Amino acid sequence: MNAWHIGVRGAKNAVAQVLATLATAFGLFWLGWILWTTLLNGLASINLALFTQMTPPPGETGGLLNAFVGSALMSGLGVLIGAPIGVLAGTYLAEYGRGAWFGEVIRFVNDILLSAPSIVLGLFVYTLVVARVGHFSALAGSLSLALIVLPVVVRTTDEMLRLVPTQMREAALSLGVPQWKVTTQVLYRASLPGIVTGILLALARISGETAPLLFTALNNQYWTTDLSAPMANVPVVIFQYAMSPYDNWHSLAWAGAFFLTLFVLLVGLAARAIVSRHRMTHD
Amino acid sequence: MTDLAQAFTMNETSPVAAEVDVRRALRPMPKLKLSTHGLEFHYGRARALHDVQLDVAEKRVTALIGPSGCGKSTLLRVFNRIYALYPGQVARGEVLLDGMDILTPDYPLALLRSKVGMVFQKPVPFPMTIFENVAYGIRHHERLSKADMAVRVESALRQSALWDEVKDKLRESALGLSGGQQQRLCIARAVALRPEVLLLDEPTSALDPISTSRIEQLIDELKRDFTIVIVTHNMQQAARVSDYTAFMYLGDLVEQDTTETIFSNPSRRQTEDYITGRFG
Repeated sequence: MNAWHIGVRGAKNAVAQVLATLATAFGLFWLGWILWTTLLNGLASINLALFTQMTPPPGETGGLLNAFVGSALMSGLGVLIGAPIGVLAGTYLAEYGRGAWFGEVIRFVNDILLSAPSIVLGLFVYTLVVARVGHFSALAGSLSLALIVLPVVVRTTDEMLRLVPTQMREAALSLGVPQWKVTTQVLYRASLPGIVTGILLALARISGETAPLLFTALNNQYWTTDLSAPMANVPVVIFQYAMSPYDNWHSLAWAGAFFLTLFVLLVGLAARAIVSRHRMTHD
Repeated sequence: MTDLAQAFTMNETSPVAAEVDVRRALRPMPKLKLSTHGLEFHYGRARALHDVQLDVAEKRVTALIGPSGCGKSTLLRVFNRIYALYPGQVARGEVLLDGMDILTPDYPLALLRSKVGMVFQKPVPFPMTIFENVAYGIRHHERLSKADMAVRVESALRQSALWDEVKDKLRESALGLSGGQQQRLCIARAVALRPEVLLLDEPTSALDPISTSRIEQLIDELKRDFTIVIVTHNMQQAARVSDYTAFMYLGDLVEQDTTETIFSNPSRRQTEDYITGRFG
């Protein structure tokens, strides 16, 4: 009887384990395939010209320099605009708006913004900025990226500050230190790794966004650092070149995809490293 | 009058009894440092303290005991108004610190908290170096030169019996210390402000027995300089470390007296039942 029960449990466990393992393998298989294809085609397209030359017309040799620089500029500016506002808003939610209906409403709206399709954000900036100014611009691109950064940073800042034990707040306040100093000098320090990780993940997310840039920064075949002009960027270049009938454009699209993936991977690893180092100092 | 009764009445005027009285009279009565009058406390609609009259003697240890939820931590949290952080928590009545009512909004919060330090149940060192942990509070209240600050930090760490263990690693993160060391660091952090009153909210309940006994020894030393109010779940601890004990039950202060009296001859039935472990 007993042995039979154990046998049944063992069998159930084996079935569950096999199913779970198969599901994992199924998911990982596609991911592996995608990465493998990107790696294979990307590596085949790598050469020095990628970093020294501009995007070429069809049939001519060229590189992605203007797209790399444009992406770096716009993503950087997007984080620069979105992250400080996000950190402050997250601080409000965690430290001042707890239990207040206003805070709850903001948190709810933020969650909607978090899952809003990025193309909607692109269209929003298009009608708000591009349509009024009359032309595409890198600044409009940065703004739409900032709108993606914002909810991610609000959410992580809020959650990371909430993870700080209440007693640490009370301990600092009980020294007679005012609340804003407690927040900036003690709580930020305690939650800094988490907040920085959130910002890095937001950076990783926007560096691959295509839709919002399509409506705002568009693309530019030439070198520019003028924020009021259309600007080249890696995702839109990939989009345009991959759909074209030209072999040299295909090859550049693969190279762009490769470096984009590599960048996202590195940022993700950096985020993980920060989190794990933080854990070690806590134990 | 029976012989026995006569013996008792005689005893009251006997030379021995008179001597005891003289000794009691000669022992200096401690000054009153902190007292509450008609103190009520509300968490929203729920009342947590009811008409509490507590006296805390200067440079003595007063223990607050009672079953969970009796309001002893709540009472402690009134003394530095830390509850004010939470909307909906309200204290009414009078809490006199050296005769001044600390519950009036005019009483400056920063001043109150520099006079009344607090140590919490769980050790919560700030994510800074050991030195910075102790210096952090001082920096907010006083401008000190580097050398003066070093002296202040050292004396606070010595007072909390931590100096010998950390003097060679003051620049290291406080998070690397053991739980007991962290708690002594928290005491150092509070002591560094040179407060007059120290509030200890179950300071050893998260610690192992050895760390606990170190903290208890420390409390004994600290009462030379500070008035201490300690909340504890552990009755042996209250008996060991305190001079006075107050027993609380369901938001009422049932009885307060010298620790000796509370533990050997309480005047209220409830106190006796709790002390002897009949409930709680």
